[in-house]
Amino acid sequence: MPESSYSSFSYSFKEVKPAKEDLDDFLQLHLVEEDHPALLFIENTLPELQQLANIRGSYRIMDVEVLNIADGILIVEGKTLHIGIQVAGYLKGSEQIAVFVATAGPELTDMADHFSADGELLEAYLIDAIGSLTVEKAMDNIQESLELSSKEEGLSCTNRYSPGYCNWPLVDQHTLFSLIPDQTSGVILTESALMLPRKSVSGVIGIGKKARHRDYGCATCNNQTCIYRKILSA
Amino acid sequence: MNTQLIEQIFTCVEFGKINEASPYPATMKGQPGSDELTKLALEQGYDPNVILYDALIASMNKVGQKFSENKIFVPQMLLSAKSMSAAMAHLKPYFSSGAVKRKGTFIVGTVFGDLHDIGKNLLSMMVEGAGWEVVDLGVDVKTEKFIETLKLYPDAVVGISALLTTTMVNIPQVITAIREVSPATKVIVGGAPLSADFAKSVGADGYGRDPQEGVQWLDKLAS
Repeated sequence: MPESSYSSFSYSFKEVKPAKEDLDDFLQLHLVEEDHPALLFIENTLPELQQLANIRGSYRIMDVEVLNIADGILIVEGKTLHIGIQVAGYLKGSEQIAVFVATAGPELTDMADHFSADGELLEAYLIDAIGSLTVEKAMDNIQESLELSSKEEGLSCTNRYSPGYCNWPLVDQHTLFSLIPDQTSGVILTESALMLPRKSVSGVIGIGKKARHRDYGCATCNNQTCIYRKILSA
Repeated sequence: MNTQLIEQIFTCVEFGKINEASPYPATMKGQPGSDELTKLALEQGYDPNVILYDALIASMNKVGQKFSENKIFVPQMLLSAKSMSAAMAHLKPYFSSGAVKRKGTFIVGTVFGDLHDIGKNLLSMMVEGAGWEVVDLGVDVKTEKFIETLKLYPDAVVGISALLTTTMVNIPQVITAIREVSPATKVIVGGAPLSADFAKSVGADGYGRDPQEGVQWLDKLAS
């Protein structure tokens, strides 16, 4: 693998922590009273998370061998990803693919699990949300870095797409992870193709002269709680 | 016996007042919460069934209704559930002794391949608050785990949740396995991408658009 095709990133919580407004929006906290325990918990907890440092991510760029939109198939390095018609369409014009993995690290997942085990479901819910927004913010940064370096070469990038969403079967995680074996984030897959630590994301970004960035297709999806619904197009 | 204490417990659960130490809501600061009031009600000889049905179940029903109507959101609902749990802890001995009867047992889990738990947790809390015993299997629950648990609680109703279109397709496998070992077991499914049509197509007996609808379906089974 050429050295330039692999990039890894590491962030402190301070660099990628969710903005208060994003948390309020995601958790609908603007609709609760100002003394609600959820608001107080977040206000007290965010400063305590400043020491978190295991927020990592990486991507690896590979040439597209086949992108069959009609069959919803992407082949890279001889491996077939069954990305589905929708994602394949969004990747149209991509000559290369960046396979990415990023994680907010094990601490937030562990914290949420501890609260949950103690029956503190509100606190577990809030930590879980902080984790989700943190890893997405880290991934926003990684995607921005990829877009900048691609732009220097006269290339554009698509939005990012993940197994489990837009009808891309989750089981493809196993193939996806085999394409980025040296990822430094420490994320592992379970038998059910779920990532551990839980607060992790993976997927692909298309790169090419004719690749086009599109907003997430929320209008065509009925999943009201999907995190991608909350992310504004870059 | 007057019903003042019952009404107070009802209010505590509705607004998430847990105990005297909890400062929320501000209008009830320094006052006893569902924890102390339930203990007091039992000490004063209130029938635990009255506490369960007229205070806890009735209040959680109102909370569920408000959630369905978007009048409250997840954080408020979780606080109400915590208040309910504080009260329910005092009723546990009466469940064990048989003095208070539950409506039935509900086994619930998020289908294998799916880690999302908030919808399933909200349903669990609402179902418990409706007077059912809940066996929560967590997330990423394999078919075998549903079956093993059903063998321990053969009269239970089973609830299966999924949040993704790519994981809801795992639900039929679980239902098929349940039908093989226990054809009479009732199964309800729910989760953001599901629909009543999907539920019907995979052979589920019920579909809950939200926790409140799930509880209403379960209560019809119990009545």
